[in-house]
Amino acid sequence: MAGTRFRMIALLAVLIVGQVHSDETAEPPSQLADLLGSAADARFARALEPRAFAFPDDHGPHPAFRNEWWYVTGNLDDEAGRRFGFELTIFRFSLAPTVPASSSAWRTNQAYVAHLAVTDAEDDSFYVAQRYSRGAVGLAGAQAAPLRVWINDWEIAAQAGTEAWRLRASDDAIAVDLELTALKPPVLNGIDGLSQKSADPENASYYYSITRMQTEGQLRIGERDYTVSGLSWLDREWSTSALAADQVGWDWFALQLADGSELMLYGLRLKDGAWDPASAGSFVDAHGAASHLTASDAEITVLDNWTSPEGGVYPSRWLLRIPRFDLELTVTPVISDQELFTTVRYWEGAVDVEGKRDQLPVEGRGYVELTGYSSE
Amino acid sequence: MVSEPLAIQARGVCRRFHEGEREHIVLDGIDLDVHRGETVALRGRSGSGKSTLLNIIGGIDAPDAGTVSAAGIDLTGLAERGRTLFRREHIGFVYQAFNLVPTLNVADNVRLVLELNNVNSVKASERINELLDAVGLADRAGSFPDMLSGGEQQRVAIARALCHKPAVLLADEPTGNLDDATADAMLALIDQLVRTRGHTMLIATHSMHVASHCDRVLELHNGQLEASTGR
Amino acid sequence: MIPVTYRASFSYLLRHPWQLALALLGIGIGVAVIVAVDIANASARKAFLLSMDTITGKATHQVIGGPRGVREDVYTKLRVNHGVRAIAPVVEGTITIDGMTLSVLGIDLFAEREIRDFTGEAHTRDAGASDRSTFFADFFLTPGAVTTSKQTAEDLGLIVGDVFELLADGKTRRAELLAVFPDGGNNALYRLLVTDIATAQEWLGRAGWLTRVDVRIDHNDEATLSALEAALPDGAQVLSAAGRTRSTSEMSKAFMTNLTAMSLLALLVGLFLIFNSVNFSVLQRRALIGVLRALGLTRRQLLAMILIEAALLGLVAAILGVALGIMLGEQLLHLVARTINDLYFRVNVTGVGVDAFSVAKGLVAGVGAALLAAALPAIEATAYQPRLAMMRSALERRARRALPTVTLTGIGLMIAAVVLIVFSGKDLVAGLTAVFLMILGFALCVPLVVRFAAIGMAPAAAALGGTTARMAVAGIASGIARTGIAIVALAVAVSATIGVSIMVDSFRGSVGEWLEQTLQADVYAGAQRGAMDPALVAAISDLDGVEAVSTRKRAWVEDANGQTQLRVFEMPRASYAGTEILDADPAAVWPAWESADAVLVSEPYSFQHGVGAGDSIVLPTGGGPREFSVAATFQSYDINASGIMMSRATYLRHYDDDTIDSLGLYLHNEVSANEIVEQVEALSNDWQALYVTSRAGLRQESMRIFDRTFVITNVLYWLTLGVAFIGILSAMLALQLERARESATLRALGMTRTQVGGMITAQTGIIGLLSGLAAVPLGIVMAWVLIKVINRRAFGWQIDMSIAPDILLVSVAFAMGVALLAGIYPAYRAGRSQPAIAMREE
Repeated sequence: MAGTRFRMIALLAVLIVGQVHSDETAEPPSQLADLLGSAADARFARALEPRAFAFPDDHGPHPAFRNEWWYVTGNLDDEAGRRFGFELTIFRFSLAPTVPASSSAWRTNQAYVAHLAVTDAEDDSFYVAQRYSRGAVGLAGAQAAPLRVWINDWEIAAQAGTEAWRLRASDDAIAVDLELTALKPPVLNGIDGLSQKSADPENASYYYSITRMQTEGQLRIGERDYTVSGLSWLDREWSTSALAADQVGWDWFALQLADGSELMLYGLRLKDGAWDPASAGSFVDAHGAASHLTASDAEITVLDNWTSPEGGVYPSRWLLRIPRFDLELTVTPVISDQELFTTVRYWEGAVDVEGKRDQLPVEGRGYVELTGYSSE
Repeated sequence: MVSEPLAIQARGVCRRFHEGEREHIVLDGIDLDVHRGETVALRGRSGSGKSTLLNIIGGIDAPDAGTVSAAGIDLTGLAERGRTLFRREHIGFVYQAFNLVPTLNVADNVRLVLELNNVNSVKASERINELLDAVGLADRAGSFPDMLSGGEQQRVAIARALCHKPAVLLADEPTGNLDDATADAMLALIDQLVRTRGHTMLIATHSMHVASHCDRVLELHNGQLEASTGR
Repeated sequence: MIPVTYRASFSYLLRHPWQLALALLGIGIGVAVIVAVDIANASARKAFLLSMDTITGKATHQVIGGPRGVREDVYTKLRVNHGVRAIAPVVEGTITIDGMTLSVLGIDLFAEREIRDFTGEAHTRDAGASDRSTFFADFFLTPGAVTTSKQTAEDLGLIVGDVFELLADGKTRRAELLAVFPDGGNNALYRLLVTDIATAQEWLGRAGWLTRVDVRIDHNDEATLSALEAALPDGAQVLSAAGRTRSTSEMSKAFMTNLTAMSLLALLVGLFLIFNSVNFSVLQRRALIGVLRALGLTRRQLLAMILIEAALLGLVAAILGVALGIMLGEQLLHLVARTINDLYFRVNVTGVGVDAFSVAKGLVAGVGAALLAAALPAIEATAYQPRLAMMRSALERRARRALPTVTLTGIGLMIAAVVLIVFSGKDLVAGLTAVFLMILGFALCVPLVVRFAAIGMAPAAAALGGTTARMAVAGIASGIARTGIAIVALAVAVSATIGVSIMVDSFRGSVGEWLEQTLQADVYAGAQRGAMDPALVAAISDLDGVEAVSTRKRAWVEDANGQTQLRVFEMPRASYAGTEILDADPAAVWPAWESADAVLVSEPYSFQHGVGAGDSIVLPTGGGPREFSVAATFQSYDINASGIMMSRATYLRHYDDDTIDSLGLYLHNEVSANEIVEQVEALSNDWQALYVTSRAGLRQESMRIFDRTFVITNVLYWLTLGVAFIGILSAMLALQLERARESATLRALGMTRTQVGGMITAQTGIIGLLSGLAAVPLGIVMAWVLIKVINRRAFGWQIDMSIAPDILLVSVAFAMGVALLAGIYPAYRAGRSQPAIAMREE
């Protein structure tokens, strides 16, 4: 959940720091703080109580809320067993609660930002690209039926006549063209999809995930194409929340285990180094039944660290323990350097999982997001 | 002698020039009487003030002190315009450098003066013919000055100076630009014309030879005029 | 150490400060005019290019469409379907704020980083400004939010946060200054409002359309370029940004070339002046030269001495001229910029940019002209025998002997000019060269003519004014070596005035007649910029008293060859008579024009492209390039040589644009035009501000703009006349100096001051008269060349030449006036000359 909040920051950072870069008097972090510290317009909708989710409608946009995203990560292998990770995230942002009437189709309050990242484990390489656009004149947008979320030529869209979604994004050095088929129904995180962010009841979002999606398709790095397959994870969240003042960052885990279960877990780090009691997660069993995890259900131990060449020390190996489900997992990044240099730096990368469930060995793969560690 | 009126009378004429801070006294109390019909030579070194005295008598210049009258007209206190009109009517000038108007032919150079004196053109033509005849240039009336020799030019200048029958002829080194033979002829011509026509003449020269043609010779020395002691 | 010979020579100049000053001033003004025109032209061009460059940013290409622009979905498809990334949409137009015209650049800030930097480099913390961190959102969300350059904001009296009103597309809009960005090098971004593309579309009434799409394609990336071309629909095309800028800036080339030619004329007159000065200084030092030569100065040394002196004189004058030119350039620049704005394209200039090249040109022109002008007198001086050098009359004789040769050379030059005109086709520069050859040739003939004229006048003068008058006249003829140059300079300057006056007058007459014929409707109403609101068009057409309506639309279409203006009309048949068909039978032309794909081409277009009735031309259309037949050529004095007249029906068939710029209203007989003007104004007041005027009003306004165009021409000719005035003044002064002894003799002989002064005045008056008279034939010939050769080549216009006698009379009188004015001081000085000087030995 905290990871989602970070992504909102990234979006704003791109918009503000990326475009207005000449004022030497203003420090980017302070601008961010200014913006996120400011209270959202009261006319935005807020996630205050549980709601009834309906699919496929809720796959589509919720423009009454300030921010929203479609967030897909996945671990893939080509036919020769070459290991890849990918991330494609499309953020929607309502910059104002309403749109003035206009003769111009360009008049909108909707802005979109997208990040594409590819990890090549064998080559120890990590690639990033980003897009931003206004959500108007067909340049970027989202719709529920049929599902289509796009920003320029990057898109996540329902494949006509199938249950599958097609995910396409390309840049100079990388491209993905993947077909995703849900293997489980959506999981409502938090309490029936209402995910609390801090003690403040206003600070919450609607949050669901599809934790296991069969993935097939093509992946390109440089001039080379790979036919790939594997598993992906979709996170969907929308809210009008702001960041709590005492939170500095988070560690977020989305792990898919070989026994068919999944674990989502995030730890919100407070300024004093402790975990925020609002930290939470979900455990999904092989049949798709989900259990809500609270902070007291999980124990996160950092086993190793990685120092970014650009400064900042990130944790890079963890021991996760969920006694309630007799789960003990060691999480290791596929490669150390999966740090994104979009306008604000963060680490988001593919990981391997090893451990025990119910005393039996289990392994898996997943994605981890780390924020608040860079020296900035 | 005494009863004869004076053509030129100067009393106590002074003229000073300023050269920067220094004052240079050129004429220092000149008294001069020239009788009508008399020819007087004014001798002196270069810069002794001969030309200045001629200019004052001719109304070109005015003295700083003293009185001058010529042709019976008192120049003292006459304004520039008055002096010009006086000069036009009563004075004839002959210069060392001839000073003909190059753009006018011989006849017109003479006519210019007659015109200035409002002589009607028929009468003027008669007068021009008569004078050119007198100076021996009747056949060159249509020539331009630059086609004439120096002697011829000076003869035109003499005709021009005498055509309006001035009371006084002022000549400033009239032979200075001429060779000796021509100069002698020129002096003879001037002498003859002046005497036959009854003009009064004051001639400035440094030459004894020229002076010897005159009735009287005066020396200008240190701003004072004195009778020539001869050589 | 300066050699003694040089000191002897220079001290002459120093002792005659008047003459020195006038020579310096004359050359200086000549140089100043050149530098000023050069700076004004260069600054205007540079301002335009720089501003285009800055606004174009990193874009290498631009996607353009038809007259309305590119449909916005073309842009969306490029990004979404074809994945083209380095592109940015632009909606451009103009608005006014309190009468000041500004460009609006509507952009999508999301796409800007690929193309432009300045649009994002906005500072909001300017004066207690809004929270900077919300700049992006404010720019994006707030209708009417704009940014502009610091200088523009300052000139508009706006600070960040101010809300103000502007007039766009005839409607009053609310805007808010959100931030200011740096001015850009040389104020390239002056008078530019940057706003979100949505605001720009709203303001300019361009919903659904983009002005263009800016594209950045890496050098040599032909693949991307052809992929882009393939992705574009019919009617849209991708052109090189630099090429578009170039072809736009070249629209004003003929105008600038003409200005340069005029500035050269000023230098030419200045050249005579220098010649005059050097000639005099040589003439008057002939005694000194004779002595120096007698003492053993070689010819070569003498030549060097005179030339070095001339070069120094030229240099000092040129430096003076450059300084003067820079000041003058600033004034001219505004005139140049205004004309360019009136006639060609928008250019904003905030100040002159003085480049080293302009300065160097001025210096070279000054020194070069001085050397050139000094060469002849210098060579002549070296030819003197040491003894002869003392004789003045010998000089005049030489000059007189040289006259036939000089005159023959002059005739030769004039013949060369004619030959050049006949054989140079449409070349403008060749035409202008011919004009100069003609002037030069004529100038060389002037002295002989003047000499004979003066000799011929002598008896008449004598009869009228006696010997004094004869002396005055004779002085001109005999002093031809001195007076001739002054006369030539004045004659050339006056002839230029005559030529240009006749040209402008003829042109004005032709345009007036043309307007009389062309303007057929009783009342005209149109949008200030852009299109009229269709509902308003309907409402106006329905007014009582309006019998019929014609519609007009000016549309620009563009391809790689440049821009073409389409004038799209729909009008009552009765008003077809307003268009003068030049090369076909109107009865056959109009039906074809109405319904077939036939167009009419303007005479300038016809001249420039060599097409006429029966030919065909290719125009870019909504469906790609298409062939149209040319039904006829029509008479037009529009500045744009690219005008094509198309019927609205044809236009609608080929272009996706049904907008109308203006209406012509034909009224019932009993209805007064003013009444309808008032009604239309009332109707449009709270709808869309329109330009409404009666036929007479429009005609007047057209003539006003016409006259404004020639202001700069007048300024240049006044300057040229100023140079000529100085020439006469210095010539007369020198002449009097030269003749001081003569004046003194005349004074000694009894001429009064008034008489001597009067004689000099008469002399200068006669010089003026002769110059004026000599200028008449040259002026008429120049007018003919300007009308039939230069204007035709530059703009393609056919103008009927008409010579108003008063122009000639005024010019001759003017020449006399100038000369008399110049003669006042010399006459005064001559009158003051001391008769005693005559006594002194030469």
